[in-house]
Amino acid sequence: MKHKNIIVSAVMILFFLSLSLFAWFKPQDSFSQSERRKLSQRPELNFQSLMSGKYMKDFDDYSLDQFPMRDKFRALKAKVSFDVLRRMDNNDIYISDGYAVKMEYPLNESSVKRAGQRFSYVYEKYLKDSGAKVYLSVIPDKNYFTAGEDRLSLDYDKLISDFKSETQFGEYIDIFDLLSIEDYYRTDTHWRQEKILPVAEKLAEAMGTELNLDFQEKTLDRDFYGVYYGQSALPLESEKIKYLTNEITENAKVFDFQNNKEISVYDMKKAEGKDPYEMFLSGPLSLVTMENPESSNGKELVIFRDSFTSSLAPLLLSGYDKITLVDIRYIHPDMVGKYVDFTDCDVLFLYSSSVLNSSETIK
Amino acid sequence: MLFSSIVFLYYFLPVALILYFLAPKKLRNTVLLIISLVFYGWGEPKYLLLMTASIIIGYVSGLMIEAFQTQKAKKMVMIASITISLGFLAYFKYTNFFIENFNKIFGLSIPALKIALPIGISFYTFQILSYTVDVYRGEVPAQRNLINLAAYISLFPQLIAGPIVRYSQVENELREREYSFDNFALGMRRFVLGLGKKILIANILGELCDAFRASGDKSVLFYWLYAVAYALHIYFDFSGYSDMAIGLGRIMGFHFPENFNYPFISKSITEFWRRWHISLGSWFRDYVYIPLGGNRVRKARWFLNILIVWLLTGFWHGAAWNFVVWGLLFAALLIIEKLFLLQYLEKSKVLGRIYVIITLLVSFVIFNASDMGEAVEYIGAMFGAGEIPLVSKELIYYLKDYGVILIIALIGATPAVKNLVLKLRENKTAEKITDCLEPVVLVGLMLVMTAFLVDGSFNPFLYFRF
Repeated sequence: MKHKNIIVSAVMILFFLSLSLFAWFKPQDSFSQSERRKLSQRPELNFQSLMSGKYMKDFDDYSLDQFPMRDKFRALKAKVSFDVLRRMDNNDIYISDGYAVKMEYPLNESSVKRAGQRFSYVYEKYLKDSGAKVYLSVIPDKNYFTAGEDRLSLDYDKLISDFKSETQFGEYIDIFDLLSIEDYYRTDTHWRQEKILPVAEKLAEAMGTELNLDFQEKTLDRDFYGVYYGQSALPLESEKIKYLTNEITENAKVFDFQNNKEISVYDMKKAEGKDPYEMFLSGPLSLVTMENPESSNGKELVIFRDSFTSSLAPLLLSGYDKITLVDIRYIHPDMVGKYVDFTDCDVLFLYSSSVLNSSETIK
Repeated sequence: MLFSSIVFLYYFLPVALILYFLAPKKLRNTVLLIISLVFYGWGEPKYLLLMTASIIIGYVSGLMIEAFQTQKAKKMVMIASITISLGFLAYFKYTNFFIENFNKIFGLSIPALKIALPIGISFYTFQILSYTVDVYRGEVPAQRNLINLAAYISLFPQLIAGPIVRYSQVENELREREYSFDNFALGMRRFVLGLGKKILIANILGELCDAFRASGDKSVLFYWLYAVAYALHIYFDFSGYSDMAIGLGRIMGFHFPENFNYPFISKSITEFWRRWHISLGSWFRDYVYIPLGGNRVRKARWFLNILIVWLLTGFWHGAAWNFVVWGLLFAALLIIEKLFLLQYLEKSKVLGRIYVIITLLVSFVIFNASDMGEAVEYIGAMFGAGEIPLVSKELIYYLKDYGVILIIALIGATPAVKNLVLKLRENKTAEKITDCLEPVVLVGLMLVMTAFLVDGSFNPFLYFRF
């Protein structure tokens, strides 16, 4: 007994001492690649922060963010949750046939209603008397394809029906049937550009234009770990980002109004950055125009959009002289009129179900 | 500071223990006091002054009670000390409750005070009260060393969520403690198992309770699942904290009283309260129930004594009507048991356990309700009131999601595992194997719990608010 207790004591002292020393003296990291966020830094100690309790709160955050082998510990937690405790998800992410999927649940009816009301506001303000033809479409989340009977997922029928009833000013284009789980990245929320040509075709057809879908497929050298890789903390395999080019995408004149500069359809600098998906039209930007030098059909398209459209829009460019992308999560609708002329345009509201279900970000 | 936090486990605790054990024995209470104040001040720097004031009042009162010659003077000092200590508790914990109800009754609109409940005030106030009363009764001598008394009251392992350690229980150990590898290993084992109860069971079941509350797809059985999950959650949360406190105390040479003894296997509510929050139950018994006359009075007075004790017990848990109702429910059940039910329950263990479990599930739904309206709604739904289905999709999902945890928790709430280990250890070979495995299991558990903390969010202990 005595002998055993000496061993137990020694092992536990060694354990606490080694991890504690590691935690106290480990150099600070500034950024977590897997979680794509800045990490908390050791707070400065002063009388005011000490008495207000701010120092303690900041130190708590710092201790969690800077803990030694943080990613390995997070992976251990995920493994124990799935394999030992048989949990159905980890941090709301579950794995279905190798696809990391976020459990988007439940349906937030008021959020869908709010999104519809914001789009109605745009319609009333700019589109009603502009001669614009208005279309709407919803992109399903991966959860739509993997939910089945034993998973919780949005009530997509209700989502679409609520959305339609709030946006009766436009024609709804259903793209659900054209998509499957294979059309999305395994580790990310987004769809794969090389898989959504049928979506582009259907949208174009519904809007009365024709596309040239003759593209060359290229692959980024860099491995891609999507946003769910870090969130799930599971050892998922990397994948490759493919992108489609042709003369139109290569010669397109693209302008970023947010930063007042010309950009390209595929941003190779962003492809090397923290989120390679941002290579598509340089990621989240409030207002971008794409001009097609090969077209003179007089047609213009304005898309109110989220990040999914960044990879879709280049596929639609052949059907239009100009495409304008507006993200009203980053620019207030009242400002849009200063930059966009809606007269006789095609206007498409294209949003993912997850944004509609959390529409508080829409201005 | 939370025991279940990276800051405590890897920044505070190792440094605190190194300082404690490196200090000469004569200075260890001083070191203990300093690290306890740092521990408390980490979460509540502004309330350090309040605790210090309470300690000084307790210290001076003890000395004065002992110094005064006449019983009357001693009693006056004791009453004054109790009044001040309870005054602090009443001001910080109950003022807004009384203002709110005063406003409702008299149609007034007195604004609520902007005061937060100092962490652990209910616990350390009761420790000071017991010390003062024990000195008055002559059961313990007044502590002449302020540091020793302050170290006892602010003792960080049990400062903020118990068990309520009485001065008489640690009086000798405040002077002289035994340090050994046996104590260290036993304490560490108890601490790690308590931490496991908190992080791997209580926190996860807490998530299930949150999911239920956020659900828009409730069903009758989902309400029952919630009731089971919450009862297990609060048990593993609170008993886990007590285990950690007892373990840390043991590492530092203290022997704190047990606080839980598998309460869910009770066959009556009378037995349940001998197994649940034992230190609180015995405190109310010794400092309220017995001074009121206990059961050595007329029957009506006896029942009144029970009602008073349980009204106070409920109110101690929180300044809200659901806690009062919760306490009175137990008072009613205890009276009924004493009148006639207990003799029937003793005849049928199965019936007794079913009765206890259903009663407890209902009682914890009241306990955790945001108000009495919600409590009535939830209990009604459990018994089929309202137009909700028996089963829902969410219920099925969460049963699958939390199934293993629920099974572990249900088994862990009984002495089955403990008995199995004891039985195994009767065999010499098995004993050697378990001895060899123990450090491996403890380190493995610590790694897994660290992983859950690193990945997880903030999960405060439930009993901090009491």
